[in-house]
Parts: sequence; C-alpha cells; structure tokens
Amino acid sequence: MAVADLKKSHKKRKQREDVEEPEKGAFEEAVGLEMLSDEEKDAEAESDKDDNEVDVFPEIDTRSDSEDEDFEDSEDEDEEEEEEEDEEEDEDSGEDSDLQIFPKSKTVVSDITGQPKRVFPEIEPDYDSDSSTEEDPNRVGNVPMHWYDDLPHIGYDINGKRVLRPARGDELDKFLQTVEDPSAWTAAFDKNTQMDKPLSAEELDIIRRLQAGENPDTNYDPYEPTVEWFTGKGKEEIMPLSSAPEPKRRWLPSKWEKQKIMKIVRAIRQGRIIGSKPTSSDKNQVYAIWNEPPSNQPPPLPAPKPRLPTNSESYNPPEEYLPTDAEREQWEKTEPEDRERDYLPQKYSALRLVPAYDRFIKERFNRQLDLYLAPRIQRTKLNIDPNSLIPKLPSPSSLKPFPNYKSLKFTHAKGRVRCLGVSPDGAWVASGDEEGVVSLWEVNVGREVKRWKVDSKVGAIEWCPRTDVSFFVAGIEEKLHFFIPPHLTPAVSNLTQSLLAPATLPPATQSAIKWTSSAASSADGSILTINLPPASGLPKQLTWHRKGDYLASVSSSESQGGVWMHQISRRHSQAPFKKIKGTVQLVLFHPTKPHFFVATQRYVRLYNLAEQKLLKTLMPGIKWISSMDVHPSGDHVIVGGYDRKLCWFDLELSDKPYKILRYHTRAIRSLQFHPTYPLFASSSDDGSIQVFHARVYSDLMTDPLIVPLKILRGHDVREGLGVLQVKWASRQPWLVSAGADGNVLVWCS
Amino acid sequence: MGRLKQKGKAGAAKAYVTRSSAVKKLQCSLADFRRLCILKGIFPREPRNKKKANKGSTAPTSFYYAKDIAYLAHEPVLKKLREHKAFAKKISRALGRGEWSTAKNLEETKPTYRLDHIIKERYPTFVDAVRDIDDALCMIFLFASLPSNLRVSSSLIANCARLAAEWQLYVMHSHSLSKVFLSIKGIYYQAEVMEQTVTWLVPYQFTQNIPSDVDVRVMLTFLELYQTLLGFVFFKLYTDAGLVYPPPLDTSKDESGAGVGAFNLQETDRSVPTSVTKPANSAKKVSSKEVRQTIKNIAADSAAVDRENEMDVDYEDQISADADEEFVAHPSTSEPNTVAALPTLHSLSAVPLPNSTKLFAPYTFFLSRETSRPVFEFLVRSFGGRIGWPASSGSGSPLLETDESITHVIIDRPLVVKPNETTEERERRLRRKYVQPQWVADCINAGKILLEDLYAQGATLPPHLSPFGEREGAYDPTIGLSGGDIMANGEESEQEEESDAGGEGDEDENTSTSGVARVATTVIVADDPDTLRAAELTAEAAGMDYGAFEREVKKSQQKQKSSDTRAEGDGEQDMNKMLMSNRQRKLYERMKHGERKRAAEHADLEEKRRRIQKEKKRKAQTT
Repeated sequence: MAVADLKKSHKKRKQREDVEEPEKGAFEEAVGLEMLSDEEKDAEAESDKDDNEVDVFPEIDTRSDSEDEDFEDSEDEDEEEEEEEDEEEDEDSGEDSDLQIFPKSKTVVSDITGQPKRVFPEIEPDYDSDSSTEEDPNRVGNVPMHWYDDLPHIGYDINGKRVLRPARGDELDKFLQTVEDPSAWTAAFDKNTQMDKPLSAEELDIIRRLQAGENPDTNYDPYEPTVEWFTGKGKEEIMPLSSAPEPKRRWLPSKWEKQKIMKIVRAIRQGRIIGSKPTSSDKNQVYAIWNEPPSNQPPPLPAPKPRLPTNSESYNPPEEYLPTDAEREQWEKTEPEDRERDYLPQKYSALRLVPAYDRFIKERFNRQLDLYLAPRIQRTKLNIDPNSLIPKLPSPSSLKPFPNYKSLKFTHAKGRVRCLGVSPDGAWVASGDEEGVVSLWEVNVGREVKRWKVDSKVGAIEWCPRTDVSFFVAGIEEKLHFFIPPHLTPAVSNLTQSLLAPATLPPATQSAIKWTSSAASSADGSILTINLPPASGLPKQLTWHRKGDYLASVSSSESQGGVWMHQISRRHSQAPFKKIKGTVQLVLFHPTKPHFFVATQRYVRLYNLAEQKLLKTLMPGIKWISSMDVHPSGDHVIVGGYDRKLCWFDLELSDKPYKILRYHTRAIRSLQFHPTYPLFASSSDDGSIQVFHARVYSDLMTDPLIVPLKILRGHDVREGLGVLQVKWASRQPWLVSAGADGNVLVWCS
Repeated sequence: MGRLKQKGKAGAAKAYVTRSSAVKKLQCSLADFRRLCILKGIFPREPRNKKKANKGSTAPTSFYYAKDIAYLAHEPVLKKLREHKAFAKKISRALGRGEWSTAKNLEETKPTYRLDHIIKERYPTFVDAVRDIDDALCMIFLFASLPSNLRVSSSLIANCARLAAEWQLYVMHSHSLSKVFLSIKGIYYQAEVMEQTVTWLVPYQFTQNIPSDVDVRVMLTFLELYQTLLGFVFFKLYTDAGLVYPPPLDTSKDESGAGVGAFNLQETDRSVPTSVTKPANSAKKVSSKEVRQTIKNIAADSAAVDRENEMDVDYEDQISADADEEFVAHPSTSEPNTVAALPTLHSLSAVPLPNSTKLFAPYTFFLSRETSRPVFEFLVRSFGGRIGWPASSGSGSPLLETDESITHVIIDRPLVVKPNETTEERERRLRRKYVQPQWVADCINAGKILLEDLYAQGATLPPHLSPFGEREGAYDPTIGLSGGDIMANGEESEQEEESDAGGEGDEDENTSTSGVARVATTVIVADDPDTLRAAELTAEAAGMDYGAFEREVKKSQQKQKSSDTRAEGDGEQDMNKMLMSNRQRKLYERMKHGERKRAAEHADLEEKRRRIQKEKKRKAQTT
C-alpha cells in the first residue's frame, strides 16, 4: 500500500510540475489541508525529510507526500524525474497506438545495479484510479442479475430511482444489427446494464492474445535477456566461505586418470583391445574346405532324392495322359495329402502359354519339411516276383488219389444230420439226425437198408473198429444205444450178439451206470443200452479204442467232465477223471500207446492211462477247440477250433503248433485223418470241406509235408451251420460228410 | 546269475529321446532346436517299438537318436545361438531405455556363426557335397526369382541370384548339362558334375508369392545352409576348372540386364607362382615340355578350326588353359627308359568330347523376343552353340538380328504373314530355320539334331516326353505309337486287338500261349477229329473260307486253353497260399496290389490312347 501510494504521489507531483505549475498555490492549499487533517504524525516525519530535500525540490510542499519517505527514496525520485521526461517522449510516440490498457512500462537503467529495469508509471490515488468510483447508472451492487428477470427494472441508480430495463429487440433485430453495424461483433453483453457494450481495442487485443494462448500483457517480452545478478565479471566471491586452501586437484592433472588411460593405450598397443571391426562380408567368405584330408568318420546318409518327373508332368504330354473330367473331379475331391500326384497333367500348345506353377514354393517347403521332420528308415527294396513267395508244393495232380467229386447224396427228410459213422470195411454208413432217426445205408449206391427211430436227437455215432463183429453205437440224450446192422453173415452176427448180449453176464461191478441188453428187440431196436447218469445231456463224442473193447464218451453237460469209459467185455463203465480243469470237449485214444488225449476248451492234455499221469499239455492258441484227431502214426495231432484255426502238432517237437492253417472262413466243425492214405479233411460252417495231403516221414529230421489239395463244396449253409461231420471210408480215399442241410454226401476220387 | 535288468536302462529306452526331452536337454528354444536340426541334418527316427522307446507310453511323439542329441550339445552353433539370445535381451533392453549408443555398440558386436565346420562334417568329401546339391540348387534358383520383402531381404536374393548365375556359368563352361525337361512346374535340368547326377528345377520366369501357410523361417534356415554349401562347392569347382572364384561381376552390364553375361570367367594365373617355385630345369626337360606344348597347340588349333565361329569366352579360356602348365615326366635315374605315361588332364581333355556335348556347336541361334532368354541362352551355350537376342531381352547380345551366321531362330509365336517384307528380309527368313523352343530341349534329350520341320513355327508340336524315363514296365507312349500304326491298318484288326487286349494283360504270356495254342490245336485235332470235321463242314456250308475257319478254331481253342490253365493254376496257387506265413502273405498281397494297380494304370492309358486315335480317325473321315 505504501509503495502504491508513493508512486501515486510521485505521479501526482510530476503532473503538477508539468502541467499545473502556474496554479501551484491553490492546489497546495486544497491538498495540503486534506492530508494534514488525515495524517498528523506523518506530517512531522515529512518535515524531517523536507530538510533534506530542500535543495532539490525547494518549492514542493512535502506534506502532500504520505508515508515514511527516507533519503534513498528521495534520491530515486530525483532520477525518476529526469526519466519522466524521456517517458513523456515515449508516450508521445506511442500515443497513436491505443492498444495500451495497462499502464505503459518503460525500461530504465538502475543506478544501483547498473542494469536496465522496467518501471511502471505511478498510479494516482484519485477517483479515476479506481473503477469502483466510476459513474454507474445501476447501483444494485454485486447481486445475481436474474433476480430482476421478471421485473421491469434492472436496479436502482444512485438516487434510489429504478433503472428501467433497456429495450431489447428480438433475434431478428439482433441479426439486423449485426448486418448493419460492421463493428457489432466487438460488443459484449453487460449484465449490469443489460445491454451490449462495445469493447475497446485494448480489450479486443487481450481477447485475441488469450485465444492465441499468449500473455495478455502487450509489453510482456518472453525473450528478454537474463539478468545475471550473482555471476559474471565483477561478481566473484570476494569473501570465501571457508579458510581452507585451494585443493591441488584444481590445478594438477589426475594421476589416476592417466593410469587408466595408459592401461587402455597399452592394451590397444598390444592388440588386446581391437577397435570396432570393419563391417566385412565374411559371411560369404569361401575357401578350399575339402583340401584337408577328410575325417575317417563315415558321412551321414544322404537324404533320398525326390522322384524325377515323368511324362505326365510335361507341358506338352501325349494326350492320353490328360485327365478325363471324372478323373479331374476325383482328383479335386481327394485331400491334398491323399492325392497320388500333386498336379493334374495339362497340355499347352506353346511354351509361352505355360503359366507359373502356383504350388512351387509350397512343394519346396514340403520337401524341406520332409528333410528335417520326417523319420527316415532304410528299407531294402524287394525286387522279387511276388509269385516266388508262394511255397513250392507238389502239384495236387501228382498226389492223387483224393476225393474230388460228389458221387452220391443221401438225404434225411428233416433235421440236420449231426453225426455219421462209416463201418470199418467201408461199405456202410450210419447217419443220425436231430429228429432221432438213424439211417443205415450203403456207401456205393446210397440205398437205405434200415432205419431206427430213437427218443431224442442223435449226438454221435461210431462203429466198432473190430472186424470180426459189426455194430455201431449211437449216443442220444443220456443213453448210448448199440445197433447191429442187418444182413450180416451168421458168424459175425452170432459173435456180435454174444458180445453185446451175452448169455452169461459178467459179474456186476460197482458203477452208477446201468447196462441193459435186450436181445429180443435186436432186430428193430438197440441190442444194448448204456444209461449214462441222469442230466448228463447229449453225448458230444464217442470214440473207440483201436481194439474195440473200450469206448469213451463225452457228455455235453456234466459236472464231472462227463467223460466215461465203457468196457464192452466187462459191461462196466467208469469215469477216468475224478476232477478235471475246464469243460472237456473231446477225448481220443492214442492209436498205439496207452495214452489218452483230452481236449478242454483251450488246451489238449495227454495222459498216460497206464501210469495215470499227465504227459503233456498242448497249447494250440485256439479260443475254443471244436475238433481233434490223431495221425495213425500217433505222433501228430491236428486240432481245429471255432475260431477258424487249424493247428498241426508234432508231438515230438513242441507243445506249440508246428503249423497253423487259417483258411476256413467260418468255424471248423470236424477233422479227420484218413486211416491209410496220407490225407486229412476238415469241414467248416462255411459249407466247404478241405482236403489236404499230409505226409509224415518216419525220420525225425524231415518236417511233415502238408499240401492243400481240394476244396469240396456241395453242402448248403443252414442257419449258420455248414458241414457238421466228415468221416473217411477206411479202405478207399472216399469221404462222407454230413451237413446241416440234411444231406450226407459221399465224395469219391 | 547275471545282473538284474532294469527297465528303461538299456536298449531302445536309452537309444532314443523324444523331441521335448531333447529340447530340454539342449536348453534351447524349439525354434533354435529346429534351426540346429536343419543345419546339422539331424532328423527324427522311427524306433522299432515305440512303446519301448517312450518308456511305456504310446503317445505320438517324434524320436531322435540320443547320440545325435549328445552330438548337438557340443555344437559351436548352439553356443552362438545362446549368445544371440543374451544379445537379443541386451539390445531390447537398451532400445527400451532409449540408450542408442549402447544399442549401436551391441549391434556392432552381434554374435554371428559360420557353418564351415558343419559343411565339412556333413560332407567329408567333395563328392558327397556334389551329390547333395540338388535341393540347394532348387532353393537358390527359387529365391533368385523371388521379390524381396521384409522377411526376405534384397541382399539375400542378390546373393542367391549370384550363386545361380555362377552355377549356370560353371555348367556352361564345363558342358556338363545332359538333360532338360520342360514341365508344368518349371524346367528340370540334369547335369553330370564330378560323375554325380545333379538335377534341379527352375521355376518359369514369373513372380512367385510366398503363400501364408509356408513357414519362411524354415526356408531361410535351409537357404542359409545351402548358400554356404554352394559357396564352397562352387569355389572348389571353379578352382578345379582353373577359374577365379568368385567370377568378377561387371556392374554396368548387370544393371542393363545382361544376366549371366554380366560375370566374366577369368583364368587363374597359375604360371606366375609355378615359375617362381620351379627351379631352373635342365635343358632336356624344357625340350620335352616344348614338344608337348607344340603338339597341344596343334591339336588345339585343329580343334579350333572346326569351331571357328565360336567366339565364346569360355571356349577361348579353355584354349588358353591348354597352353598353361604341363606335367613333365621325370625319368628315374636308375631306369631311364621307363617313363610312366599317365594320362594327364590335358591329354584327357584333348580326347574329343562325346558328340552330344557339342551338339549346337555348328549352329548360331537367335532368340525371338517372346522366348525366355536366360533359359535358352543357358541351354544353347551349354551345348556349344552361339546365341544372340534382341535388346529387349537384355543387353550383351553378341549378335545382331541381321547377322549372317544365324542358322536358327527360336520363335514361339503363331505364324503371321508380313505384308511388307523387303527382299533382304525375305532372303534372310528363307535362309534361317524357325523352330519352336521345344526343339532345343528335344534335341538335347535325343542327343542329336532333330528334324526341324516338326517343330516349325506355328506347327502343332509332337509331345514332349520326360528324358528321365518312367519306372520299369510303365506305359511308354513311344512304343504305343508303333502299335498304333499297325492298328491303323483296318477296322477289323483294331477290333480284334481290342478284344484281345481286354482279356490279357501280359504280353509275353500272349506270345507263349499262341505257341501253345498251335500245339493244342493239333492235339485237339488228333483228339477228336470227327467233331472238328463236322464243324468244318458246317462252316463250309455257311460259306466261310477255310483260312477264316481255322483262325476261328484256333482262337477259340486258345481261349479255352488259356482259361483252363489259368483256372487250374489259380486254384492251385490259391491252395498253396494257405500255407504262407502271415507275414509272407501280407507282403505278397501288397506286391500283388501294386502290380494290379500299375497294370490298371497302364491299361487305362492305352485305352485312352485308343479312344483318342479312333476319334481322330473319325474326324479325318468326316472332313
């Protein structure tokens, strides 16, 4: 406040000097009176000052000056007075530019610092100096003007009279006004008077500067030179802060730095530090790499070369290589990986018409993928005739005789023929069907000689191998019936009768099985019946010992394995096994030794009956054994299974099959070796019978020779069942087969 | 009792490692592993038993030999790759912090690796390397024709183009090109270099675009290896041929599109060092050398006479090479008479080359504007011909179109009659032979100059066949042609053959059965002459002449016979097949399947050909 007042006073004084010097006295009075009345204390101080100022301003009434002006100030004033005149000139020159709204500043050289400084003019502390003292028509004060929105007046003047709202035109008037008055845009709305007030040029300039983001002050110079107050010539520190002597490092070069630099210099001299390498293209540097002798390591295998192009890849192939529409479509439909060729042959009439190959890069890429991603296997390429792989076997025509045509057919009226038996002399066949009919007929002509009717379906029929007697056994539900064919010679007939129904029965033995003879009904019934234990079911298989005294039967369902051995001469039955693992499928007597084969579902076991012990277990690897037969020599066994496999075992060789033949398309049902010829046959549910030549050599070194000879087809497949049993006629290479279609066929050579 | 064997301690479990475990062991990223595998030529293996190799798991994995991976672990390149990884981290850090000078320093010390040792390992001898450059050449030629982009830099492409040109120069210089095949994929070339067959495929001159499903990084890694390999191989080939490698490039020529001609082959100047190293020889030795040299010069002169017009740079070089250096036999002091007369390189080169390598030597070619200059320049110059081209195909043509020595013009545009032809032009046109480009390729493949008429301008070209041949017993269109001539005799014979061919696949069987049939007829005639007589009588009554009847009889008998034997044989074989082991049977079935497929293909092609010919004939008849 003091400073402002001071300046005001200065300005006032100056103006007084310049302009109003003639009327000094009057002014003195007016002002001096006022001041005195206001500030009495100051007046005394002023008087002190006045003494000092006398020589400079003798005529000025210092009372007008307000505050504690000291000597310095007065000096300042002196100077300013001189400068005032300069300023006046400046003002004169700048008078034409009316843009000044702020008081104009001027630059003066300060005599204290010797630097130029800006000085603003004094502000007079009169009414003009304050906007609040301006004449304002509306004296409502600083209240929100919207309070008067609904009223006809906008406030009150100094006299308390209402100031009426000036008339304001509508928008159209406003617009017209802007059109008519070119300076209309420079007006701003004054809330206090509720009317537009034109802006002055200075105000417009401020607005422009604000819009441009500049300092609103016109005189502001952002680039004015800095004032070096404390640095530079002549401003050195004269009075040091500490009394320490100046350190040596200020003027001596550093030893450590020298050492470090010398270290680097030495390293460069010795070549330990190499400057940045020249950017040479050593990537392409080549030399004679193969001049040194190669290492003795073998080179890695070279990658296989791609296949060379064939005719179809030509740009102008023969026309037959071009694909037809169907082939093209086929090619386009297949997946790219599955295509045989990766291109379609095309023909162009001239080389210039050949376009770019669009899969070129893709193919190169695939090749590279092959090179580094595909596992490589070295394969020796077989360059052989595929037919040389087929084993060389003697021609079947050189292995004659074997059955190769169907000679006659015997038909059972109804029911499938389960079983059949061929008499040891090969003249008769007994066949039994599921209706319980057992027919006896001649092999040569197929004439039925006799027919028996039994209670249930016939499971197995077997002729007694003895030649001095003639009868056969038929196994039905829980019973074994013995039948004597008719038209026997009296001697044979008598012997058979006496064997099966002797006049004096042998002493009865302890057995659960009853033998009942009925000699009277021998003509049309069975002469002898063995009653198997109840609930033993249908006998699956009957087999004779070669001497014809023992008969073994296998029942289909029984707990004790269902194997019974019956002795005709003693009329005695016994179970050879107390307990047996698995369900017994088949049993067989060894043709020469007192051995006994038992086939369970998976294994074939060979027992020695004399010593009562297990000799061997054969493992055919079949899931379910269906049939088995022993070679007449007794050293070889064939086993057939429902899983279509046929295994040949050499008993001398191994427990594992010597050969597995898998050639039937359905389950094997029956197998048999020919008793005299080197033949065996197998029948299957696929309706075919296959005949093999099977030669067994007596020396142990030679493997048995198995030659497939003939596939006999003549049976129909009914309900999934084909040929159920095959039997050889003992003296001829003839085969009798029973089928599920109710036919029994005889195959002759 | 030996030691108990533990599972996974020996055998396949030790010999194989899966890819993921290999990567873990090498402590590198999968991309680095892939790069290493490509560079070192290590590929996965298929163990006999996957389950054993993978410790009981049957998950699909790829296996590598454990030894291969151990071998990779010592690879210097792997070390460099690790260094590069650290470098990449450092530089990305520097860049992230905006420390440009550090980044610049790092960039200057960027770790790089060289592949020399890998080349040496993979190809211990030079022949091994030459045997394996097929893929490398294909890639180089492909990349030489690619446009550059962000991933494929222009310097790389320039280098590939340089290598491609160097290879072509070498092949031209050594006249080792043997076959060429214009295919729809590109042009296959085959050359005999160092007694190795090198086949490479060059795409046609079109801009190729790298498809999006191709991993360029893989290709670039391969290319890196291939560039190095080819650099070393070419160095060796060039130095062995007495040439400077790399051949200096004439930049101004290159800029004007001279292509291969921008490089000029230079002889290495061997005379200077040898003369320095050689001590002063005795007079006798000098004289023997002189004698030989004069002989050589005479031979060279005589050789030069017949190729007088050959101004080829290469050839001149060769002649000058002859004058260079000579093996001199030093007779031993103890046995002065026995001088080992080994065939030297010069004496071998003096032996006249096979005719085909100088196939085009007597001719001068001029390329028409629309034919591809790089291709035909390469082909013709490889076979010793001279060739010129218009300025629009690039600069550096040694001939002008008006040159009098031009014998052939390779032209690939339809025949157009020029209305205003000067007499000079007309004369020139009549003097020259205008052939289509295929003629050049066919001549090279045939090894002789073919008749130009078939390949005349605007003519329909004969088919272009692959010089590499098909596999054994495949359909051969050239053999079929002669058969076609026979067929063209008459409709009847054609039908007859058709019916025959329908039934029979094998030819020699056909001939043998015909022989058998003749015997069989006599047999059957002997068997029941009565029935035959009766049939003959009826035929005569029907008005059939005896010859026709006999043919009929023969045919029917033959048919019957063949069907009989086939049925019998098939039956027997089918029975015998039962006794094959499973493995053998599968092999047999596979082989039979392949045979049947090939036979079907063959029959299909023949059938198509027959149909096409019939159609052609019909067309000819109607018009």
